[in-house]
Amino acid sequence: MRVELDEATRRRVEGIRMLGRAQVRPLGLEADRLGRPIPPDHEFFELLLKIGQGRTRWSGEQDPAAEPAARDESDRPELKATIGTSRALLAVAEELSYWDRGVAVSLPGPGLGEPPIIGMGTPDQKERFLRPFIDPGKPRWGSFAMTEPGAGSDVAAIRTVCRKDGDHWVLNGAKSFAANASRADWILVWATIDRNLGREGHRAFVIEQGTPGLGDFHVEKKMGLKAYESTSFTMRDCRVPADSLLGSDEHYARKAGFKGAMKSFNSTRPLVAAMAVGMGRAAFDEALAFAKEQDLLGDVRVRDRLERIRRRLRVARLLCWRAAWLADHSRPNIVEASMSKAVAPAVALEAASLGMELLGEVGARGEHLIEKLFRDVKAMDIVEGTGQIQRIVMARQLVQLPR
Amino acid sequence: MIDFEIGDELELVRATAREFADDHLRPTLRQHESTRALSDATRAAFRDIGFATLEWPESLGGSGLGGLARFIVLEELAAADPGATLALDPLGPALYALVECGGEAALERFGTPLADGETARSVLVWCGEGCRAKLEFGDDAVSGAIPWLPADAAAQLVLLDADGAHVVSEGFTLEPARGAGLRAAGAASVTLDRAPIAASYPGGEAAARAAARGRLYTAAMLVGIARESADYSRAYALDRVTFGKPIAHHQALAFLIADMATATDSARLAGWDAAWRLDSGHGAEEACATAFIEAAEQAMYVTPNGVQILGGHGFMQDHPVEKMMREARALSLLFGGVDAARNTAISELIESDGPVQLTWEAPDAGRTG
Repeated sequence: MRVELDEATRRRVEGIRMLGRAQVRPLGLEADRLGRPIPPDHEFFELLLKIGQGRTRWSGEQDPAAEPAARDESDRPELKATIGTSRALLAVAEELSYWDRGVAVSLPGPGLGEPPIIGMGTPDQKERFLRPFIDPGKPRWGSFAMTEPGAGSDVAAIRTVCRKDGDHWVLNGAKSFAANASRADWILVWATIDRNLGREGHRAFVIEQGTPGLGDFHVEKKMGLKAYESTSFTMRDCRVPADSLLGSDEHYARKAGFKGAMKSFNSTRPLVAAMAVGMGRAAFDEALAFAKEQDLLGDVRVRDRLERIRRRLRVARLLCWRAAWLADHSRPNIVEASMSKAVAPAVALEAASLGMELLGEVGARGEHLIEKLFRDVKAMDIVEGTGQIQRIVMARQLVQLPR
Repeated sequence: MIDFEIGDELELVRATAREFADDHLRPTLRQHESTRALSDATRAAFRDIGFATLEWPESLGGSGLGGLARFIVLEELAAADPGATLALDPLGPALYALVECGGEAALERFGTPLADGETARSVLVWCGEGCRAKLEFGDDAVSGAIPWLPADAAAQLVLLDADGAHVVSEGFTLEPARGAGLRAAGAASVTLDRAPIAASYPGGEAAARAAARGRLYTAAMLVGIARESADYSRAYALDRVTFGKPIAHHQALAFLIADMATATDSARLAGWDAAWRLDSGHGAEEACATAFIEAAEQAMYVTPNGVQILGGHGFMQDHPVEKMMREARALSLLFGGVDAARNTAISELIESDGPVQLTWEAPDAGRTG
């Protein structure tokens, strides 16, 4: 039992803290004020590349046996032990989100499409789609598109269809809220060969930007998290080469297609929950500072609520870390991952909401960081499975809730 | 690095505690409650395993284990029978007042004679913030009244407040009370009439540590109670059929059951976090108070819902869930209850200039404003 970070992770977190204070938070506030995502050619993204960000965690090694090593290895020996573990990634994600979660999602890199490509992709696909991210000469993005206008949590209900046509596949459909889609080199798109087949009919494609039929990109207007683009787009008779189908046919014959997607969701639930913890911490720190400045701490009502928020944030973080620790040891963590995801966003919203209450009319002016966090954080209970979906997932395990 | 592995030794301790609870406590929990007594065999088994002296220093015949070990044992025992758990432990949280305020000498003097569990217990009396005891301290004696202690007899009372601990071994009488919960440990109101103070151990910091460890002791029991109530009602909900399916499969209950599991785990993690801080030499007063509040709140969320899931059956004493609800409520009144704990938990935050210390942030962490 140990509840502290190792030295290497602590140093990484401190690095992010410096970057966060100097760059990430100001950029997030600016994007919020301007009401538009950070442009892809922003110098901040160039800076990130220079300090080693925006890269794939794929090692470039084609031997699958060598792949797990990517989790635990680094070219910097002092970081070797823990860098890339789920726990370390959580600590980093939490800290980055403390400074601005919207900016965190905008960062260059292969994004949520990376795990399925590493897990299911053919050697050729890894070369094509991930190799450019090993040492990118410019900021590059990958994107991941599952959600549709009529299919959010119920991913089995996606309606984007794909049909084989000679040595091509033809896709038709619409996707919603895909992060970084309009600026991405490629988008990992989920489609179905037959809407009646449910999950068994799902197929993943990696569609490259500029492919004819891929278009109608529309950057949505959001309540918060404005620093990154949430983009909707369509595919109209979008023809892609047969080898754009992610993985080989055997993957789908084994019904692994859907599991490929769900696996990436499962591994990211504690990660997204940790982001919420970071946002909640930010709101708490600001609220506490304001309460001190305004001499509000003599009020026992204020003190009690601050106590509650701090305690619940700590518990949420412990839930996240436990789920990540289980993942690091390849132990089942379905219930634990969902617990963290069910708890953290609600706690973070409570933190921001309390912060607004302490600010009073100052918060209502709409110019305070806490007010932004209050809008930003609501998304965290929706992405990566809503709080309701988390409870369904838990109940399936705890009481065998039927599907 | 962050690690939730408790290790082989503590896994063994946990398994032993679970086995003891299944063999000696669970089958007779109603009997323990009504007779307010435990069998000699149960007491002997408890003593022989060494649970009573788990945290005692090895120099005094203890196992020298820490707060996490105690937490794990208490969760297992309290899951079966919280009242009996208190009844079996000859010192209970009084251990911490003796050790923290008076050192090993105090433990040897007042604790060792009780270690075999044959005689009455040493009972801790919280006299600090939030207590309802009315005591007047003279130079060498104390008088007053204590509304409730979970005991029918006491070899000694260890009076703990913010400034230190005092031990009284005579000059007090226990008047049996019905008890809202924890009846297996007994229930009494206490009158002290110029009770001579056998020993005084002043020291505010030591007293704060003693209170912290006492709160963690209580938190561990609350986690056990919450777990049992959640597990028991979950099993019932899978068995009970209404409207054509197990009630667990109605989404309103499925979600509730998931939330009860989450609540229990939340309280346990807060407790383990505090226990780790305690055992690794970090300041733990705030963490222990936080763990106590979390455990009390979650237990008071889980246990009434445990009754709710069983419906009318839950209200009847054929099932243990009503007992769990009463005992969670009674236990979380100790140490001044959650309000006193809140003040402890928040005080250092109010005094500090830095950002929120969840657990590991570097001191220079924080906001830009």
